[in-house]
Amino acid sequence: MKRKLKIYLPFINAGIQEVATYRVNWIFYMLGNALACFVSYFIWKAVYSSGGTDTMNGFTMSQMVVYIVLMFLTSTIIASDGAWVVGEEIRDGSIAMRLIKPVSYNATFLFQELGNKLPTEFALAIPMIFAVEVIRTTMSGEIQFSILGLLLYILSCIIAYLINFYFNICFGFIAFAIKYLWGANMMKNCIIGFLSGTVIPLAFLPDALEKLFLFLPFASLNYTPIMIYMGKYTGTELLYYLGLQIFWAFFFFALSKALWKAAVKRLSVQGG
Amino acid sequence: MIYVDKLRKEFKKTIKDPGLKGSIKSIFKPKTIKVIAVKDISFEVAEGEILGFIGPNGAGKSTVIKMLTGILTPTSGSCTINGKNPTENRRNYVREIGVVFGQRTQLWWDLPLRETYSVLKEIYEVPDDSYKKRMAFLNEVLDLDSFISSPVRTLSLGQRMRADIAASLLHSPKVLFLDEPTIGLDVVVKDNIRRAIEYINNQEKTTVILTTHDLEDIELLANRIVMIDKGTNVFDGSISELKTKYGQFRELYFETDSPNPVNILNYENHFNFKPDELNIKAEGKTVKLSFNSSIVPVSDMLSYTLGKINVSDISVKDADIEVIIRRMYKHGENL
Ligand SMILES: Nc1ncnc2c1ncn2[C@@H]1O[C@H](COP(=O)(O)OP(=O)(O)O)[C@@H](O)[C@H]1O
Ligand SMILES: [Mg+2]
Repeated sequence: MKRKLKIYLPFINAGIQEVATYRVNWIFYMLGNALACFVSYFIWKAVYSSGGTDTMNGFTMSQMVVYIVLMFLTSTIIASDGAWVVGEEIRDGSIAMRLIKPVSYNATFLFQELGNKLPTEFALAIPMIFAVEVIRTTMSGEIQFSILGLLLYILSCIIAYLINFYFNICFGFIAFAIKYLWGANMMKNCIIGFLSGTVIPLAFLPDALEKLFLFLPFASLNYTPIMIYMGKYTGTELLYYLGLQIFWAFFFFALSKALWKAAVKRLSVQGG
Repeated sequence: MIYVDKLRKEFKKTIKDPGLKGSIKSIFKPKTIKVIAVKDISFEVAEGEILGFIGPNGAGKSTVIKMLTGILTPTSGSCTINGKNPTENRRNYVREIGVVFGQRTQLWWDLPLRETYSVLKEIYEVPDDSYKKRMAFLNEVLDLDSFISSPVRTLSLGQRMRADIAASLLHSPKVLFLDEPTIGLDVVVKDNIRRAIEYINNQEKTTVILTTHDLEDIELLANRIVMIDKGTNVFDGSISELKTKYGQFRELYFETDSPNPVNILNYENHFNFKPDELNIKAEGKTVKLSFNSSIVPVSDMLSYTLGKINVSDISVKDADIEVIIRRMYKHGENL
């Protein structure tokens, strides 16, 4: 384990250096997300004021605001570029440069991406959590912060990131097989946006759909960590959803290994 | 050390009819054709040997290297390196080899070069003291010091290639694969790299397989050559064998003031040369021709030429390997 870490730690470092080089990209990416966040806020505000009720599907307007901010934070934390990077490396053949090294292909990606994400995540998470708490406290008039809730949220986010990472790796291998990465990736992002509760909280869906979507792996990405933070899952329900998350993480981890074995035989590294 | 047995690689290539209609059709019902990049090639390489792997563009050299290094899975046939099959246990196998692709880099684009080496040190589990010794050695051979602190993306092509070769040697591999290691480099860097390869081979008995289409690389480095063309093996042997086997060619240079000397001389008709027995290049006053001296002796060529036109300077020499190989490239299938 310690030796493994020593091998892959440099990839984190390489990832961090990459971000330092492409900081401007990241700033624009975040600005885009923040804008989407504001748009979402104004839409929901209109929905609530035209609905005439304080609570919709168990969400008050102040909880909705918290939901939007947490959605913004969570999606950033668990974001993974895997599908894109794998697809590109296969397409342009640079995957060969990973293959000639005695390291696990997926693991080098994972650690490189962690390096990409860690610094920005800390920079983002601390003020965002603070903002969420200020909103919650002022709108409800009482302090709702719970350290346990925060720790469980972090745990849930870590699992969600692993699900997303391995899911995207799998998706990259499949997109490579059907040779249609760009379109497939766009479609995937749209569908996941809906299935994971990014567009509307799953609680707003008809019961049967909600139940189905809650079981699918995509709810484990965004929705579960947010519900945990907001204290909507407690007791056995909490354990059930954490367990489901762990299940999906293992599922996609195993699937990515199997797909990798199939893909590597079909590689046709071009050029050079 | 290296056994390659009837190695074959086929690619499927999608072809697309022209126009929008063709593009749409190719999404739903792609047409594929089979390209045989490597066609049942066999050869062996002994320990400590430098094998020059040559052939024209598209011959299949890189594809063979990719199969030998475990990047591509062969369609059929087998290769064994050091008793290991590259695709069977990739992570275990690649510990023992070093690989450089001239047209790609294995260095981390955004890291200072020095850090690439410390990453590789961890990956290959090189102990601290051997790492220090190794870096000093590589630095001496490849002269890395002047750019070791620069990020890789700022290196010149020559620096990058030296850095890449050093990276491939950090873990003292038993076999070194170099695919076009001198491509696009200037004479000084080429020379530095050749000497480095020779030195490593000499010092550590590293087996080297080197592909190139720069024949100077071959003449200066290789003990043996394997030449392939259109995916098949057309020659396997030492350079001197190549020269005696195909070396009856001689080159004749001369300078003349006569306008249009080639037409006046008309060697083809006079001596009845077949097309592949004679090759003429005329450029201004200089004429350079290579011909098969077993068809027409050198003395006959000389006396005929001197008798026909006014020549100011004339010389004859053995065809160098380049000429021989050019000829073989052209007629690969007949050999
Ligand atoms: N990934 C690929 N897909 C389809 N055809 C390929 C691929 N890689 C190589 N080829 C074809 O195989 C042949 C050999 O290529 P290559 O091994 O790169 O030649 P060389 O390195 O000798 O120039 C060429 O005709 C090339 O077009
Ligand atoms: Mg090539």
